[in-house]
Amino acid sequence: MANTVIGSTIVVDGEISGDEDLVILGTVKGQISLRENILVERDGVVEANVETATITVHGSVTGDIHASDRAELRADCRVVGDIHAPRILIADGASFKGNVDMDS
Amino acid sequence: MALPTESDAPCVIGNQILIRGTLVGEEDLIVEGRVEGAITLAGHLTVAANGVIEANLDVDSVEVRGEVVGDISAARSITIQEGARVRGNVRAPRVIINDGARFRGSVEMKVDLPDDLAKVLSRG
Repeated sequence: MANTVIGSTIVVDGEISGDEDLVILGTVKGQISLRENILVERDGVVEANVETATITVHGSVTGDIHASDRAELRADCRVVGDIHAPRILIADGASFKGNVDMDS
Repeated sequence: MALPTESDAPCVIGNQILIRGTLVGEEDLIVEGRVEGAITLAGHLTVAANGVIEANLDVDSVEVRGEVVGDISAARSITIQEGARVRGNVRAPRVIINDGARFRGSVEMKVDLPDDLAKVLSRG
């Protein structure tokens, strides 16, 4: 059970950091630094550089992603930016533009 | 991953989370963690017992059980519960400060002043 939910009408402009799972239904601009799991839902919008353990994207991410464990780009997601992670999954139907780096 | 996917999940800032910046929205929000910056919310804000806010708040209504440092402006009501700590100026049509709350700052409610006092204040 995720403890933190950014709701669909919420816009955060700044920096989110912490130690627990984060679900994004709304918009986050700036910077995200977590040591847990991030889920960007279908209507979620992230315009930020992201540091995390794992990230699963159903919505939209613009910015670089550094995941220490895994980055998953699901069908219908839209990601623009570079991805650094040991495990990267890009599903059929995902839109992605950027570099992929799995050497870490 | 056991993350909930329902879109009607309440908006929560969990207790291990720090947000530094502005937070704008139109739904109810529960803060169990820490927010520094500003919150503008067309909804009800709940500051949980271990929640800490160092920000000016512009909300529909707010209930404080934790700590707020900053000015609070609410369109409806401000409730400061037992055990809460608030430092700043509060302004709302209804302000409720419960027994056991710690508050320091000014309170501004919509009050009809006596005519003579209103005249003095409007001049000064």
